[in-house]
Amino acid sequence: MNRPFGSLTFTVNGERRTAAAAPGRRLSEVLREDLKLFGTKVGCDAGDCGACTVLLDGAPVCACLTPAARASGAEITTVEGISGQGANALQRSFLRHGAAQCGICTPGMLMAASALLAETPHPTRAEVEDAIGGVLCRCTGYTKIVDAICDAATVDADEAIPEPGRAVGARIERLDGRPKVVGTEVFGADYLPQGAMDVRAIRSPHHAASFTIGDTVSWAAQAPGKVQVFTAADIPGINCFGTIPPFADQPAMAASRVRLRGEAIAIVVAETATLDEIDLSSFPVTWHPEPCFVSLDTEPDAPLHETRPDNLLITGFVQTGDVDAALANTAHVASGEFETSYVEHAYIEPEAGVAWPEGHTLCIQACTQAPVMDRDDTARILGLPEEKVRIIPAAAGGGFGAKLDLSLQPLIGLAALKTGRPCRMIYSRAESMMSTTKRHPAKMTARIGCDAGGKITGMVFDGDFNTGAYASWGPTVAVRVPVHASGPYKTPAYRAKARAKHTNGPTAGAFRGFGVPQAAILQETVYDDLAEKAGLDRLAFRRLNALQDGDRSVCGQELHGVGIAACLDALRTPWHRALDRAAEFNAAGGQARRGVGIASCWYGCGNTGLPNPSTIRIGITPDGTLNIHQGATDIGQGANTVVTQIAADALGLPIAQFELIGPDTHLTPDCGKTSASRQTYITGKAALLAAQALRRDILARSNMGEDARLRLHGRTLVITDGTASHDIHLADLPENPHGYVLSAEETYDPPTEGLDENGQGKPYAVYGYGAQIAEVEVDMVLGTVKVHNMTAAHDVGRVVNPMLAEGQIEGGIAQGLGMALMEEYIPGRTENLHDYLIPTAGDMPSIESILIEVPDPEGPMGLKGLGEHVLIPTAPAILNAIRHASGARITRLPALPHRVLAAIRATR
Amino acid sequence: MRYERPETIVQATHLLAEADSNAFVLAGGTDLLVKMQSDGFEADLVVDIKSIAGMGDVVEADDTFVIGAGVPCAALGENDALVAAWPGVVEAANLIGSTQIQGRCTVVGNLCNASPAADSVPALVAAGAKAKIAGLGGTRMADVLDIPTGPGKTSLKKGEIVEAIVLDKPLARSGDAYLRFIPRTEMDIAVVGVGINLVLDEGGAVQSARIALGAVGPTVILAEDAAQALVGSKLEETALDVMAAACSAASHPIDDKRGTVEFRKQIAGVLARRAARIAFDRAGGN
Repeated sequence: MNRPFGSLTFTVNGERRTAAAAPGRRLSEVLREDLKLFGTKVGCDAGDCGACTVLLDGAPVCACLTPAARASGAEITTVEGISGQGANALQRSFLRHGAAQCGICTPGMLMAASALLAETPHPTRAEVEDAIGGVLCRCTGYTKIVDAICDAATVDADEAIPEPGRAVGARIERLDGRPKVVGTEVFGADYLPQGAMDVRAIRSPHHAASFTIGDTVSWAAQAPGKVQVFTAADIPGINCFGTIPPFADQPAMAASRVRLRGEAIAIVVAETATLDEIDLSSFPVTWHPEPCFVSLDTEPDAPLHETRPDNLLITGFVQTGDVDAALANTAHVASGEFETSYVEHAYIEPEAGVAWPEGHTLCIQACTQAPVMDRDDTARILGLPEEKVRIIPAAAGGGFGAKLDLSLQPLIGLAALKTGRPCRMIYSRAESMMSTTKRHPAKMTARIGCDAGGKITGMVFDGDFNTGAYASWGPTVAVRVPVHASGPYKTPAYRAKARAKHTNGPTAGAFRGFGVPQAAILQETVYDDLAEKAGLDRLAFRRLNALQDGDRSVCGQELHGVGIAACLDALRTPWHRALDRAAEFNAAGGQARRGVGIASCWYGCGNTGLPNPSTIRIGITPDGTLNIHQGATDIGQGANTVVTQIAADALGLPIAQFELIGPDTHLTPDCGKTSASRQTYITGKAALLAAQALRRDILARSNMGEDARLRLHGRTLVITDGTASHDIHLADLPENPHGYVLSAEETYDPPTEGLDENGQGKPYAVYGYGAQIAEVEVDMVLGTVKVHNMTAAHDVGRVVNPMLAEGQIEGGIAQGLGMALMEEYIPGRTENLHDYLIPTAGDMPSIESILIEVPDPEGPMGLKGLGEHVLIPTAPAILNAIRHASGARITRLPALPHRVLAAIRATR
Repeated sequence: MRYERPETIVQATHLLAEADSNAFVLAGGTDLLVKMQSDGFEADLVVDIKSIAGMGDVVEADDTFVIGAGVPCAALGENDALVAAWPGVVEAANLIGSTQIQGRCTVVGNLCNASPAADSVPALVAAGAKAKIAGLGGTRMADVLDIPTGPGKTSLKKGEIVEAIVLDKPLARSGDAYLRFIPRTEMDIAVVGVGINLVLDEGGAVQSARIALGAVGPTVILAEDAAQALVGSKLEETALDVMAAACSAASHPIDDKRGTVEFRKQIAGVLARRAARIAFDRAGGN
């Protein structure tokens, strides 16, 4: 389809452009590759995600499904075309409302909205939802996007910049937002160095197979240009990686045997035009398929990994008290079982990046959540010293856990090393879905007891988690689940076991909550049964058992700053209102029934009983530039903004004066990985300590008291204290090796203790808490579920940025809703975004967020993490609401209409 | 791969007739461009029909509407006369994909892609639509019902192109409706789709009915027993019960992740009841 076919002329953003375009080429490809208009994103190449939406003669179209030839003579508008000299009113509204998180869907959203606003300047929410229905977003839950589009006609005043000391708590725009809305943000696929070649992988079509690679030299020679093939045999270092070093078991490319569909066995490197002419399905490889099993339903004959008998990767265990005695002698016992599916992260940006040699250093600019882990593992695979690998995280178009693991980094790194040229790789949607990690499918059982008054007496939990072909974060899931399966409730006797077991399914890794969302579904649904048995209101039952300050967790840890009771108290009025609304609706009769459900969460922030430090450097240059070296990858959640807000207030200078540096392993100290809801707390605390240290230094130099005010005017730092004033002339001070005249660098590592053989210890230094109410409507004849409202109360200790916190809640609810109602990844069957469904704008409920501040004694300024907490209560709250509405007891996710209908029938 | 953009239908049919193999017609491209990305898909010839005069037109004559093969589905919703005449057909066509897809995809493409879940096809079949087919020997007319013969397969012969869909003007006291079932709010593939067209007699009872079921068999199913169950009724519960049961009986779906066999059969009946009510209202029944 890509042989030259003359040229094609059209108008792009008001300019006449000509492109040499084969007729079958996609408009998206011509815009990005030929015209270098990288603002138009490609998420699926199938019209499912809408990220590539552009205007063709004013009408929104998917550029990926528009043959370039069809654009001939037409007028095309891309996000670059609406940006002009800066952000237009719609783009400013996106910033003001926090409508862009990772930003990958933003250009498509903006273009779809532009088409609507051109005809309807003051649209209703329903009109907006309809207009953006074809553009998927995985971060925001759409709420703030709809807000922004509805409010686009408002003329905004310049944003008030918070005074020093007032940044924390302020609803400020994200500091890195502008490039996301004007289309200049550089994601993994958006940087194309001069002379770059493309890399494509040959992947296994089988779940399990051995293979032999044939004559690749002859095969490559048939291509119309130079083609190089590299396999496991070309890997110079140790062809084995893993996110947790003792469990490392995954090859960058398989050598002779594959354990999952989609596993890479070779890479093909060539000029893009050459690659386009090659049929990769003709690659010379002979497959010898082996017996395989992708679910826990069937037991394999042989272990996937020789060192792991019974395919058992690890067992997590927590025990306290005599739970058997407790449950034998208690007033009420309820039990349940639950099964969940593989869930795909479905970020709108498939993995992408580019590697190039720079002197003796290998640079890799790719999507990631863990730059230092990428550097260390890539260096080991490629046989390079760590300092010779530089990881420059590209803007990540969503992550949610899957971009913690290596994906293409070693592949493009190897290609660049071998060829000496920049090498780029962009995963197709299918490749991304097939080969990267998923949420663990779980099969769980639980028994929980309470006394006659409703107080929990004991709980037993047992779960098998399908960890897929390789270890990835399986150990973390198996350890986290037993620690958290009690929920945020006082449970005096407890025994919980979670096993991570290998199958030939996709590798299950990290996904927002590390197994805790699955466990919470079982515990919270069984709690509804117990409340009923105890004759208590479901919220009152939870409130009665809520952990209190000074209580011990199931790990024996004394807890402080416990906010679950405050969250439940905040929900009491909304709960009763919702119950009244449902009762009123149901009184009218009919085929639709409404119901209300509630569920809680708790979640420990940071690694489980293991070190996970972050380091922040803040410095002032001789010319008065104030830099913060912020190494935490911002995957849309807002680390760049909140970490700087904390630093600004601790230092006492306005946030607007900070320049962000990094992340970049050559420029920023290690801030660890963006996972486990740890960045705001741990990197935030490092920023607090560094800023405080710098302030102390400045005050000591000027001999001023703690309450002194700092002002940075050009090259002068002015310190005033009442009537006294002192100037520090920055250019007069000596520079340190980093180029700073004043600077501080501080490291913070949470004070935790490892778990003993009974899971007793102090696994986390800080926990966050929350609870959510779901209001649903069930069609009793079709089995469909519509979630109308969610009310979410989350204890964040201290709100750093309410807009970003709400954005996390809304986005977490969207993912929780998807997990509850529609998402099920089936290897080989759902490797696209029309068979794997995620919520669209029209699926979202109205969401009310209630932010609770119960300060944590350890967290910086009292704050706690939030990123994963927000997803945990959503699915169980929805399931409890379905049961309340219809009587249907769902025991397998997702609650697809046919399962809901079968469950309704089972009640009759 | 060869790309051709003929300017007449005769040229197009010749190109297709003379092609060795793997020749495809390009209309909106929303199916073809996705297929072209898949492994092992080979196209030796693509015939782009959008430059052929008349392909992009909806022509209203005294007795008919003729919808050209290049008309995007969005354009159907902008044609007031067509919306008034065949609201069910237009609703079905406007359920395909998102706004972005709507601007490109075509009803003829939806038909010739021959997906068992195609949204527009049950509505067209219920409406008694015909396909105008151009070939080397001239044009012929065929019932839309007879075009798909299995998933991805059609009864079109080599060199034939569906040039247009022809819908008769609706009879007096008639109304049509289409409903589909999907687990998501929008942008999904039908789990079950039901198109119904009812004609009432002067007394307001159903005089004739056509009911077409989608996604419950390899091709669209014309449920004649179900339709017969409504004749003479004013959609009394008993008639609807018989009709719904007949729809379920006529369905022979597959079990897949979107729904079980049992579920799909039941939903066919439930949707048919709801669609029948809408069609009845549109026909002026009460």
